[in-house]
Amino acid sequence: MANHADTHDDHYHPPGLQHQFDDMKQQMDSVTIGMWAFLVQEIMFFGGLFTVYLVFRSRYPMAFAAGSNHLDPFWGGLNTLVLIVSSLTMALTVYYAQKGNRNMQVILIVLTMLFGTVFLGVKAVEYNDKYNHGLIPVNGWNKKIKEGEHTTEKSSLTLPFETKVSAASEEGKTEVHANPKGNFQIEDKDLELVQNAVNGNYLTQSEKIGYFNANNEIDKGMFTGKVQIFFWIYFVMTGLHALHMIIGLGVMLWLLWMAWRGTFTAQYFAPVEIAGLYWHFVDIVWIFLFPLLYLLGRHFLH
Amino acid sequence: MANYLSEEHIEGHEHEDQEHIGIPGYLVVFGILVVGTILTYFTSFLDLDKIFAGANTLLALLIAFTKMTVVVLYFMHVRWSSRLVWLTAIAGFFWLAIMFAFTMQDYLTRSSGTF
Repeated sequence: MANHADTHDDHYHPPGLQHQFDDMKQQMDSVTIGMWAFLVQEIMFFGGLFTVYLVFRSRYPMAFAAGSNHLDPFWGGLNTLVLIVSSLTMALTVYYAQKGNRNMQVILIVLTMLFGTVFLGVKAVEYNDKYNHGLIPVNGWNKKIKEGEHTTEKSSLTLPFETKVSAASEEGKTEVHANPKGNFQIEDKDLELVQNAVNGNYLTQSEKIGYFNANNEIDKGMFTGKVQIFFWIYFVMTGLHALHMIIGLGVMLWLLWMAWRGTFTAQYFAPVEIAGLYWHFVDIVWIFLFPLLYLLGRHFLH
Repeated sequence: MANYLSEEHIEGHEHEDQEHIGIPGYLVVFGILVVGTILTYFTSFLDLDKIFAGANTLLALLIAFTKMTVVVLYFMHVRWSSRLVWLTAIAGFFWLAIMFAFTMQDYLTRSSGTF
């Protein structure tokens, strides 16, 4: 930077402008297109996982519905709202950065980080619930519950607007079964979905082979394996999403530091805009994950 | 609404500090997202699969696409971005569609083995 003054004439140039750009607009266009190139890469990155989801769900829709009914859409929906609010505060951060309003930037970045942290907290509660109920798809990684120790605890919330029928089935699913080895396991009532599909004659060709043993009876072990696929997909996709949230929180911390020092003005706010693009992208991924993971089998419950 | 959007649009080109849709606009987008989320939650309890198989998921995805579109256009400012950004964003989703389509045209036309 020692040569900075030498390479320029006396004419005005904005403090945030890098040497290789003609003006602020060109610089802004360049960083935006660079970030979008990265986001397209992220689309393909998550897209591979969505493809896996598509392939397996098209083969075993009933196993996916059974697995989905073990997730609590209240927590998933709450997290969706939390992320939407954080997206709003992020968008407003950009707005105030463009105005050069330091105090509002700092407040809104802190709020965005707060909502991001709440999201991860809810995610931790959910993962813990899966651990307690033998739904981690790796045998031996779940909570070990000895024979006779099992209880019928109520761990999920019954919402005021839920119907009595769905609330009752909600309570039924919270029963904790003995699980001495910490294996992945489902309940006998999960097989009802398959039985209903048999009665209604809407099993896919793969399901007719994949759920039944040689005597053409529903095989719990075989069905459990297919539900296990759903939980693999659930943990990999939400885990990767949570990792993006953690990285996003790191970016926000850096942004908070810059905003605190009053770096951003009406002329120079590119880092806020770019971090905003990332944050909104992570929000969009969740917008798709929520209905595709949490809401598959709700309409079978009543 | 449309009128004041276009005013902002023209202004944005004149000044460096473009406001895009302003705070009321952001709140409208936020409202759309909240309504979409609540709608997704409650429609999942209806048995739309009676109409045709997969109708529940189709409706949920339609709402999700709507939510994504407003986030991309307004929160991510693509509405005011250059043609190159439009092209990049659309190319991303186009390639994603190719991945889905080419994968599924294989899996859906094979014999239905188990994995």
